[in-house]
Amino acid sequence: MPPTNTAPIIEINGINKSFGAFKVLNDLSFSVAPREKLALIGPSGSGKTTILRILMTLEGIDSGEILVDGDSLYQMKRNGKLQPADDAHLHKMREKIGMVFQLFNLFPHKCVLDNVTLAPMLTKGASRKDAEHHAMELLDMVGLADKAKSMPSQLSGGQKQRVAIARALALKPKIMLFDEVTSALDPELVEEVLNVLWKLCRETDMTMLLVTHEMGFAHDFADRVLFFDRGRIVEDGKPDEIFRHPKQERTQAFLKKIIAAGHRV
Amino acid sequence: MGQWAGYLQLILDGAVVTIKLTLMGSALALVMAFLAGLGRLSRFAPVRWLATAYIEFFRGTSIFVQLFWAYFVLPLFGFTLTPLQAGVLALGLNVGAYAAEVVRGAVKSIGKEQYEACTALNFNRWQGLRNVILPQAFVLMLPTFGNNAIELLKASAVVSLISLSDMTFQAQVVRAQTGSTLFPFLTILILYFAIACVISFAIRGLERHLTRGLDGIRS
Repeated sequence: MPPTNTAPIIEINGINKSFGAFKVLNDLSFSVAPREKLALIGPSGSGKTTILRILMTLEGIDSGEILVDGDSLYQMKRNGKLQPADDAHLHKMREKIGMVFQLFNLFPHKCVLDNVTLAPMLTKGASRKDAEHHAMELLDMVGLADKAKSMPSQLSGGQKQRVAIARALALKPKIMLFDEVTSALDPELVEEVLNVLWKLCRETDMTMLLVTHEMGFAHDFADRVLFFDRGRIVEDGKPDEIFRHPKQERTQAFLKKIIAAGHRV
Repeated sequence: MGQWAGYLQLILDGAVVTIKLTLMGSALALVMAFLAGLGRLSRFAPVRWLATAYIEFFRGTSIFVQLFWAYFVLPLFGFTLTPLQAGVLALGLNVGAYAAEVVRGAVKSIGKEQYEACTALNFNRWQGLRNVILPQAFVLMLPTFGNNAIELLKASAVVSLISLSDMTFQAQVVRAQTGSTLFPFLTILILYFAIACVISFAIRGLERHLTRGLDGIRS
């Protein structure tokens, strides 16, 4: 459950982002409370994935401000003045955030176990023994302990995505970003990944931002849903409000289209 | 037939020099290839310029001229090299310039998603390059590195021009002494081909070894 009356863990204030002439994010502001589970929905090109990529520092912003855990993501204080963040600052900020990608982005030349242990060993100085111990716990949690020595190429899409989730969790981030993590999967493999997300949702304190087209899952999973269109938030509310009683015309039209395409809401 | 045995020995002595040149030249070329290839991808403009200047210069001038510079001109500036050192230097720098482009191309061909995974896992640039990008890119470089090594082997014949007694030099000695062209040049033809085959097989073996269990990397 989302706690109330606490400082937000993510604060986005009036950010703008364009790719060439195309304005992806338009004076966008919202904040996320610690432990909140947020679903970001909307038509493609509406900017929801870009938000996650910006939070992961894979894209910069043109203007505006983002605070993560009280610190500015893209700016830092030096000699009392605000300056663009340097590598060390970004490194420190990224420690708080983990991301799972639509296409898994596993390291194809490393076995499942090494995919999970690499980051803690490199970035946190964990010993191989500790990293492997923790990795095996995580692989067990996602149901893949028996695949530890397999290569990614030997896994199904659903298994790959579960490894990718374990890999991101290995760094113990406070915030997890899930970018359409089931969109590239065959329909029969979607559920095994959603089950893992469910488990994380119920059993951890992490703040989670989920970009998804699985409306049924978004409804059950999220404390709060943001409906994006053309780089703006059109509607922001509890899952029941958004999915059952959308106020905005654009939200209604989008949900209608999604339902017509066979998705459960 | 007996008289040829001594001449064959002479050519085999030359083969040892050729193999030595090829190995040492390839080692230098490999180092230069990574330095210049990664240098061209550097964030720092002066490093990129330096790498580009090296690559363009050594690709754009002949190995023959480079060798003569290394052996005959550098001493004028106080750097005296043995023929073997001059040969290794010229061959390594020349082939390294070609191989640098192979390194750059292979590194650039690794998908953006691998770099993004590195960022998301909070690797710094070197950690990502060392652990994620280069191991995958190296597999892509191998076949062309094999070509480069064979090119270097064949180009090594130019060192006979600075009186280093490699295989080609020895073949000319034998030709001068016996008046036969067929024997020495048939022999070195076969030897060059044999050494090239060894390089090909070694590279292919290494490639197979490195791609086990791997299908995500284009080859």
